[in-house]
Amino acid sequence: MTALPTDYSSLIRELQRRAALIHQPVSGVFELTERCNLSCQMCYVRHSARDLAQRAKELSAAEWLRLAHDAADNGMVFLLLTGGEVFLRPDFFEIYTPLTRMGLILTIFTNGTLITDRIAQRLAEAPPSLTEITLYGATAATYETVTGLVGSYARCCAGIEALLKHRVPFGLKTTITRHNVGELEAMQQMARNWGVSFAGAWMLSKRRDGNHSEVEDCRLSAQECVNLEATDRISADEWVESAFRDSSLNKDSNFNCQAGKTAFVINSSGEMNPCLSLSQPAVRPLEIGFRAAWEGLQRFVGGTPPPETTCRTCDTRSYCPRCPAWSAMETGTLTEAVPYLCDIARLRKEHYEGMQGLAP
Amino acid sequence: MQNVGGESLLVPIGARVVDVNGIIVLNDTARCVWELLAQERSVDELAAAVAEKFDVDFANARVDVQTFLDEIAHLQALKS
Repeated sequence: MTALPTDYSSLIRELQRRAALIHQPVSGVFELTERCNLSCQMCYVRHSARDLAQRAKELSAAEWLRLAHDAADNGMVFLLLTGGEVFLRPDFFEIYTPLTRMGLILTIFTNGTLITDRIAQRLAEAPPSLTEITLYGATAATYETVTGLVGSYARCCAGIEALLKHRVPFGLKTTITRHNVGELEAMQQMARNWGVSFAGAWMLSKRRDGNHSEVEDCRLSAQECVNLEATDRISADEWVESAFRDSSLNKDSNFNCQAGKTAFVINSSGEMNPCLSLSQPAVRPLEIGFRAAWEGLQRFVGGTPPPETTCRTCDTRSYCPRCPAWSAMETGTLTEAVPYLCDIARLRKEHYEGMQGLAP
Repeated sequence: MQNVGGESLLVPIGARVVDVNGIIVLNDTARCVWELLAQERSVDELAAAVAEKFDVDFANARVDVQTFLDEIAHLQALKS
């Protein structure tokens, strides 16, 4: 057996690789609610905080805890709590506090706007390994253009200050849109000022539920995406490296990530899916048992047809982030090419292979 | 103690999450000692068990056991 790496990120990747060999569902995501107090146009999941029909579908705290115990008994060690906005749930700590006693490595995703001093204090009693807060701008004007809620910027900053005060570990990230891309550097500076990590995501998809999405009014053009990622040293290095290697991807394989191999998601109404961006196969662990649901998920992932021929034979394939979830959200199928991603892949190939004096 | 892909891990809980800031991977000896620590035992008892299980001499086993105990004491991983 090879020695384990000592760098934390590499160690986690190696542990996940070993977990995949034995089909261990080591990484879970509990989407505690699909409701959010913000109204971001680009969100792939958002429902209003006051959406009573959504609220009625949400699992109870007791049901989440039952799922957590069942999942842990089957090998779950990493657990992400996300939404929607998790702190909309008045019973959040009825779920969270027992989880902190289970030996799980916990992460929370939040927009931070509902984190009060009292919530930060309670988190500090048994903090998650990481809290990730999404920042939508560096000024109130931009932040609130994205979130659609007056006063939300100040509330987010107050939430961040409360976490700092109580020494709750957290990092910042942003969802980059046309409206806030001009403040990316300023957001990075905010993170530096607070002494925390910062990351950005700019690959925005349509809605998971197939309802009307406004993401095309928000997301960057393919050219803007490639220009932006080329300014990020780590991303650029990865793509330059990929320009020189034969694709390691199995061309007939559709899922090339950990979804359904070591990872699963349970949505707010208790359906298990491979990732947050897919609403299939929606197996129900509370009804059929966690083990049977996990096996059903693996069958779904293993039985998904390969990508369409267009994708399998495409010469930009190694630059393309298409996956079944992207296909589902953008085309309604699990296999079809996604034009937005085709454009990004083509521009990446031109950019990175051009940098290296290769084709085109 | 958790198991991921056949590897044994210690995961900090409660307020220790901030101070430990990571996970602890146990080798076979450390896992054996950790399991034995479910009950109160002396260092010599632990060393004797390790020596027998891994077919090593008592003196070397005792050094390994003491090293592990010092490390987890530093991390405050055990309640007295």
